[in-house]
Amino acid sequence: MRARAAAGAALASAGILAAGWQAGAQAIEASQVTGVTTSGGTNGTASSGSGSSSTSGSGTTGGGSRAASSSALKDGSYTGAIESTRFGNVQVQLVVSGGKITDVKALQLTDAERRSQMISATAAPILRSEVLQAQSGNVDTVSGATVTSDAYLSSLQAALDAAHA
Amino acid sequence: MQPMRDESAVLKSRTFLAMGTVVSLTASFPTGGSADPKELDAAVRLIESDFAELEERFSLFREDSEASALARGVIRLAHASPEMRACYAEAVEWRRRTHGAFTAERPDGVLDLSGLVKGRAIAQAGDSLDAFGLRNWCLNAGGDVLVSGTPSPGDPERSWLAGIVDPADRRTLLGAYPLGSGARRALATSGSAERGDHIWGVGGRKSEFVQVSVAGPDIVTADVLATAIVAGGRELLDVAALEWDVDVLAVTRDGKLLATPGFRAPHAA
Amino acid sequence: MTTAFRTADRPAQPPSERPAGGLARTLRQRGRRRLLREDFLTILGWASGAAAVALYLADGGAGQFTNVTSGITGLGIIAGLIGTDLVLVMLLLAARIPFIDAAIGHDRAMQVHGKLGKPALYLILAHMVFLLVGYGLADRVNPIAEGISMWNDLPDLWLAFISTALFILVVVTSLVAVRKKFPYEFWYVVHLLTYAAVLTALPHQFSEGQLFAPGQWQRWYWIAFYVLVLLALLRYRIWAPIALTFRHQLSVSRVVAAGDGAVSIELTGVRLEELTGAGGRFFIWRFLAPGLWWHHHPFSLSADPAAGRLRITIRNLGRGSAALMSVRPGTRVALSGPYGLFGHAARTRPGLVLVGSGIGITPLRAILERAEFEPGTATVILRASTPETLYLRDEIAGLCQQRGATMYELVGHRARRGNAWLPRHQTGLRLSDYVPNLAAADVYVCGPKKWTDSVLEDARSTGLVDEQLHHERFDW
Repeated sequence: MRARAAAGAALASAGILAAGWQAGAQAIEASQVTGVTTSGGTNGTASSGSGSSSTSGSGTTGGGSRAASSSALKDGSYTGAIESTRFGNVQVQLVVSGGKITDVKALQLTDAERRSQMISATAAPILRSEVLQAQSGNVDTVSGATVTSDAYLSSLQAALDAAHA
Repeated sequence: MQPMRDESAVLKSRTFLAMGTVVSLTASFPTGGSADPKELDAAVRLIESDFAELEERFSLFREDSEASALARGVIRLAHASPEMRACYAEAVEWRRRTHGAFTAERPDGVLDLSGLVKGRAIAQAGDSLDAFGLRNWCLNAGGDVLVSGTPSPGDPERSWLAGIVDPADRRTLLGAYPLGSGARRALATSGSAERGDHIWGVGGRKSEFVQVSVAGPDIVTADVLATAIVAGGRELLDVAALEWDVDVLAVTRDGKLLATPGFRAPHAA
Repeated sequence: MTTAFRTADRPAQPPSERPAGGLARTLRQRGRRRLLREDFLTILGWASGAAAVALYLADGGAGQFTNVTSGITGLGIIAGLIGTDLVLVMLLLAARIPFIDAAIGHDRAMQVHGKLGKPALYLILAHMVFLLVGYGLADRVNPIAEGISMWNDLPDLWLAFISTALFILVVVTSLVAVRKKFPYEFWYVVHLLTYAAVLTALPHQFSEGQLFAPGQWQRWYWIAFYVLVLLALLRYRIWAPIALTFRHQLSVSRVVAAGDGAVSIELTGVRLEELTGAGGRFFIWRFLAPGLWWHHHPFSLSADPAAGRLRITIRNLGRGSAALMSVRPGTRVALSGPYGLFGHAARTRPGLVLVGSGIGITPLRAILERAEFEPGTATVILRASTPETLYLRDEIAGLCQQRGATMYELVGHRARRGNAWLPRHQTGLRLSDYVPNLAAADVYVCGPKKWTDSVLEDARSTGLVDEQLHHERFDW
């Protein structure tokens, strides 16, 4: 149980029990004094369930930019401005024929979009033991980050070259 | 996959200095042949001139090179040699294809084509060796490798086995990769700590890989992509593995490995 | 390309023009709200128990503890009151009330429900024993004689004894049923006896219990509590499924093979777009065909609801699901749901990691379809022992491509040591090796129980906290 929940539960339970105890003490006292069980304290626990603040209508602004006067569209293709989307930049081309939009093409998908298309399993983590094992003695050549001519002398490649001199 | 020493062939190596590093050419000859060393020496002289030619033009370490003149502003790119402009155009094209991870400009703005030139020099040297008639050879320029044929002519199936340096301990190998004719002739390795961090992460970030090896059909692609992946990180690794026919092995900062299936030993697959 | 564009054009979740990077904040707030609800429910649960005792004390119950005899009787009464409270809380937890489901999820609710079973039974037994001893002492007879005379002389008390017997039966059989894996249906029928147990216990409370006597205002608390539970059960266990079934008028449209030993059941219906976003959560299905209608099956959707179309993908795991493999097109289907926290509502972090094994892959596909994430921040890991059991693999790969998620397929036999959720040749790798920014992600795990536990253990060992981890056992 989380600390906040535990503390809350402990406090609430203790409070409720204390209230009950208090009310009970009065009841016992009253019954002892008068011998009549008075109806208990008015422990108003009415949790008014009014609440429900109307969830302000999340009206989805239907982004449909359907122009009212669609008849005004001439045949041809129209290229829109570049729009930034969450998935990268997109440019749209509309093809109009007979005054109606007949095709919508995504023209330009920029780097972000290109990258989003490149996925998957091309490279994966591997263990060292999975790489083909070899000792410096049984390879023919050595690949490494560029060695300067000074560093060459102490390199594995130098040893190989010396062996084949 | 451990190469058994082939008794019928012998490997001979020659080295020379070029582009601030050591180039070594190893070739395989049948044992008992007599003309071998001379043939190898001639081949070395041939490719030495290939390297020298490119270095003369593109080295920023030489005061008299065209690249230095460009860097100092003595000449402009528009007036540079066709070779220089072609190389620059290729660099720009690589920058585009690697989403900016590979770039020919240093952070200080100086044009630095060395990231491309070494690969071009190796490729050119390889062409020269083929034209010269050498068949089974392995060319290693500062850790970038291009091969042809096999180390044991008696067994043409045998691959050149290239070890890959462990960046945490450069005297040991992380593993090996078999190179041969065809789609896997070249292997290039780039690191983020060499030559004073000469590869910068995209956007000035510290690179997430300390070393990246790329195996592919040609050395320029392998070299450029290895450099680009060190700079561009995991994202570019995925891009590269998807768009090019290459195998990639990357070592992360905490020493873990990331690889395409080709780098898995066959038995571990 | 068109599909990618469509995705971009109509963001999956409520579009809300939030600023870039706002996803993390939205999810954090959502998570905080959910935890607040969870804590509120915990407090409410404990408070109801305290209230049961407090009402007794308010009636002057403390005055009862003056001598041993009436003290024992007092303890018996308290035990009965708390026991009754627990039973009512258990019924509320099982009522599938949306507020509870959204706060703690169906699985947790049922887990708590299960945990309360034994204490409730012990309290009811204590109630009986203490009162028999207490009254027996007062009447100077032994408890058994007291019991016989109560059975004979007091109205409704014989019903209370039957009620106790029923409670014992329910708790004992459900403990045995869970352990021995009795058929779900057996367990279900036994659980229906709970209602009989509660009903037979009611009369003696109101005829014998002084707290429930007319004129006592405590009486109204208990009546209100009973009515609340009754209404909740009627509303959510009986009315909701009927209403939902009639609202959507589902019928099977076709059954297609989906890999090794699995089928996808596609259903058509009306107003299904109202269920959008329910991917990953489960529904309870009843296929209204001879021999099938009396089984109900908890299945998750394997595709997010689209206009006029629902889909589940199931594997033949014996019993009920075997018969489903050959369900006829046109079969009408009753459903209720969606239930559970295995969905978008449980997100707390901007990153997303979906890890599934075998048939457990299928709900992940539905989640992936509409989950909120930036391209490049989601990872899908599919695990199977053979490529044929990578269910819906091609669909998932397509979604990954469309949405910009990275997908790994881990095929191979289980490792004996190390991280048992990985294939043998991958032993030594961990979840964090696949997901670089694991700490900033929600991890959804769905698969067989042991495998799921192993993934969760791996995730926890890298410092992930429970609010980031969402799991669903998927053995069926």
